[in-house]
Amino acid sequence: MFSSSTQKGELFEIQTKLQDPKTEKKKEGVKKVIELMTLGKDVSALFTDVMNCMHTTDIEIKKLVYIYLMKYAKYKPDLAILVVNTFVQDTQDENPLIRALAIRTMGSIRVENVIDHLCQPLGLCLKDHDPYVRKTAALCVAKLYDTNPELAESRGFIQNLIDLVSDSNPMVVSNAITALMEINQSKKEPVFQIDKKTAVNLLNALRQAPEWGAAFILDSLSKYVPKNSKQATTISERILPRLNHNNSAIVLSSVRLILHLSGFIENKANAVNLITKVVPPLVTLMGNKNEIRYLALRNINLIIQKWPSIFSHEIQIFFCRYNDPIYIKLEKLEILVLLASEKNINQLLHEFQEYSMEVDEQFVRKSIRAISRCAIKLEKSAEICINVLIDLVKKKINFVQEVVVVIKDIFRKYPSRYEKIIGLLSQNLPTLDEPEAKASMIWIIGEYSEQIDNAHELLASFLASFKEENTDVQLQILSSLVKLFLRKPHESEELLQQVLKLSTESENNPDLRDRAFIYWRILSSDADLSSKIILTEKPKITEKSFHFEPSVLDELLRNISFLSSVYHKVPTSFLNSYQITQNHEEDEFEDENEDENEDENEKEEKNPKNKKNIIKSENNQEKSNNNNNNNNNNSNNNNEDMIVLNENENENQNENDDMSLFSLNDIISNTVKKTQTQNTFNSQLQDSIFETPVIINNEPRKLLLNSAQGKGMEILGLFKRKNDDIILDLEIKNQTNQKF
Amino acid sequence: MGGFFSKIFSGLFGKKKVRVLILGLDNAGKTTILYQLQIGEIVSTTPTVGFNMETVSVENITFQIWDLGGQESIRPYWRCYYQGVDAIVYVVDSSDKDRIGISGDEFKQLLKEEELKKAVVLVFANKQDVEKCLTPSEISDSLGLNDIKDREWSIMKASALKGEGIQDGFKWLAKTLKDKK
Repeated sequence: MFSSSTQKGELFEIQTKLQDPKTEKKKEGVKKVIELMTLGKDVSALFTDVMNCMHTTDIEIKKLVYIYLMKYAKYKPDLAILVVNTFVQDTQDENPLIRALAIRTMGSIRVENVIDHLCQPLGLCLKDHDPYVRKTAALCVAKLYDTNPELAESRGFIQNLIDLVSDSNPMVVSNAITALMEINQSKKEPVFQIDKKTAVNLLNALRQAPEWGAAFILDSLSKYVPKNSKQATTISERILPRLNHNNSAIVLSSVRLILHLSGFIENKANAVNLITKVVPPLVTLMGNKNEIRYLALRNINLIIQKWPSIFSHEIQIFFCRYNDPIYIKLEKLEILVLLASEKNINQLLHEFQEYSMEVDEQFVRKSIRAISRCAIKLEKSAEICINVLIDLVKKKINFVQEVVVVIKDIFRKYPSRYEKIIGLLSQNLPTLDEPEAKASMIWIIGEYSEQIDNAHELLASFLASFKEENTDVQLQILSSLVKLFLRKPHESEELLQQVLKLSTESENNPDLRDRAFIYWRILSSDADLSSKIILTEKPKITEKSFHFEPSVLDELLRNISFLSSVYHKVPTSFLNSYQITQNHEEDEFEDENEDENEDENEKEEKNPKNKKNIIKSENNQEKSNNNNNNNNNNSNNNNEDMIVLNENENENQNENDDMSLFSLNDIISNTVKKTQTQNTFNSQLQDSIFETPVIINNEPRKLLLNSAQGKGMEILGLFKRKNDDIILDLEIKNQTNQKF
Repeated sequence: MGGFFSKIFSGLFGKKKVRVLILGLDNAGKTTILYQLQIGEIVSTTPTVGFNMETVSVENITFQIWDLGGQESIRPYWRCYYQGVDAIVYVVDSSDKDRIGISGDEFKQLLKEEELKKAVVLVFANKQDVEKCLTPSEISDSLGLNDIKDREWSIMKASALKGEGIQDGFKWLAKTLKDKK
């Protein structure tokens, strides 16, 4: 009968137990409530009854009631005020456990009228004679600050925390400093800077602090800027023993701290010596569980990008084992490429070759890519790498298509050097069915159409199925036919007309259509000029294209052991609330810039109608067009950079775009040159938006449209790089008095 | 059989348990009365935001006493505690002539509550130590005590600070509740 009772009946039953004066019955009731709560049932109806059990000497009941309150207080904000008195009494209990528990729970109840009463007991607990209570109260200040910063400041809790940093108990110290750092992060001006005295204090606490406390202390210490080289050395010496800790969090935090400190050591040899010391502990982490190994690998990847040499002797540990999970294998491949050098290339190629024979598709593809990246990275060994690739093609391994894609990259790096393999590749033409591979092959044919006798036949065969192809392939067919036409006009005139017609008349894709129109116009204006534009020499790609930009890398290195080092993304890109805390290493310019950003944020708050949009453009090509225009308008010196930038972006998103974009860039960039002289081409392109200089990072937005011209609308904009993406950062302001 | 024995035992050793609410406006002295009764001392108190609950034995009766905060913001939540109440102790600040009217209104509201129909009422005219304070009969008029016909009630002079009248009040309550059952 009871088992089939409805939930209402069940709740009623519990309610009776809760109201029972006997402690045992009460406990049963509360336990049942928590049980239902964890099962996800709504037990908020019992709020008053549970709350009334709070007044008890039984610590077990108390704890359970506290758990309940933490969850449900926010749903019953009015009733929650009734718990205040009991909390206040509990924070004066004889038992320090209860005092700490009470203040912790009270801080976790983020209900305004409870928080209003939090200050008095919190003040007492911060000065409690028991360290356990003090350390709990310290964190509670951070919680209070999060909900009501003014209150926390006006009550002087920040100062209390600062006092606690010099507490005699290491646990208290670590919690106090953690709370302060957390508060700092949400503030423009840090409330607390670690000075020399604090640093010494923290180092002393570090020795006795429990594991997680130690990790927090290490995190905080990495915010400290040593006064001089000697100080940095002293601190790093104190940190070194932590590298041997069992806890991977402590190891990684120590690694981060040591890398940070090494930047302040003047003697370069000593600095490098110091950095080398992080290698053994990281290698030890590789002996851990897979998850931790992955973490270690992600972090090692960053460290190698900054200091390529320190892991050069450890290359063996990055060889993939057959039983490694795929995510570890892929990370290892990434690192192996980073470590590739003339010395170890033979060994590496041997490994890669083995990997290419495996069954896992993702892994094999990545291995093939690794070979080509080695070829691009090491000019002297390119030949061997290519031979390995040819070998793979001859062996007819499963993923020949991937080889085609990577060979295209090699051609781009070493133009007109390895044409002899084209023949071999074209034998595999019929087997290609992936768009990326097809596009790559077509690009190769277009690029080397002079050497390929039957180029027009090959392209004609692709044209037959033009309509069914993927956009990338279509774009590539178009571009390649144009190239072919410029080189061998007689053979391909008909084909070209066909493709231009198809692209402009029967296709709906604006990219394809526009590109076709552009070619059409160029070709119809001047034959010499068009071959100059279209068949121009292309900038080479480099291995660097796969790396992070230095400023991003530095930011990531500052975040070693944090989530950001696993994502390989700067914190600002995935945390909305994260504000860049001002860092002293950065030069003034950047600081100013941050101020400006913050000002803008403020503006935004004041007037929600002012919109700041970060538009992640969906269309890469359009962006790059803009980029390239700008480039040419300014100077050609940037050109190299820009291309690298484009490539980088594509590399990481979709290799397909890579090539098509590439040739399009050539065209457009050259077209604009032409516009400058002849001033006939597409006046739209000269729109003011394209005249903004391309700025890689951290520059203020430029005024694109002033409010007088825009009838009150002001547009500020800038192209920025955020991790792998290029974004157009636009700020649109309403300068009129009227609302939108 | 079992029921019979348990009755005898409870008659001999067990104590009767009753549920009592202490109500009244803020600063009337409710919390001070509670602790005066429980530990016989003056405890320095801050305004009660929420409630206090103590168990006190008087004359072989165990009182489970709920002392609720009297601020205006908390008064609406008194009703959460009405269920199963045997007695109400209503505390009036005799020195607060300005708010005696409000206190009377709150009191009359209480009496109308369905859940409290059976509760015995004890009124403490607290703070009798203050000079020129209201007398019990004046308070009795303001609260309209004489109009109560349907339940047992009493009004007592008290001074929580001096500890006067409180024990007497609860003794009356104990006796009344015993007779009632």
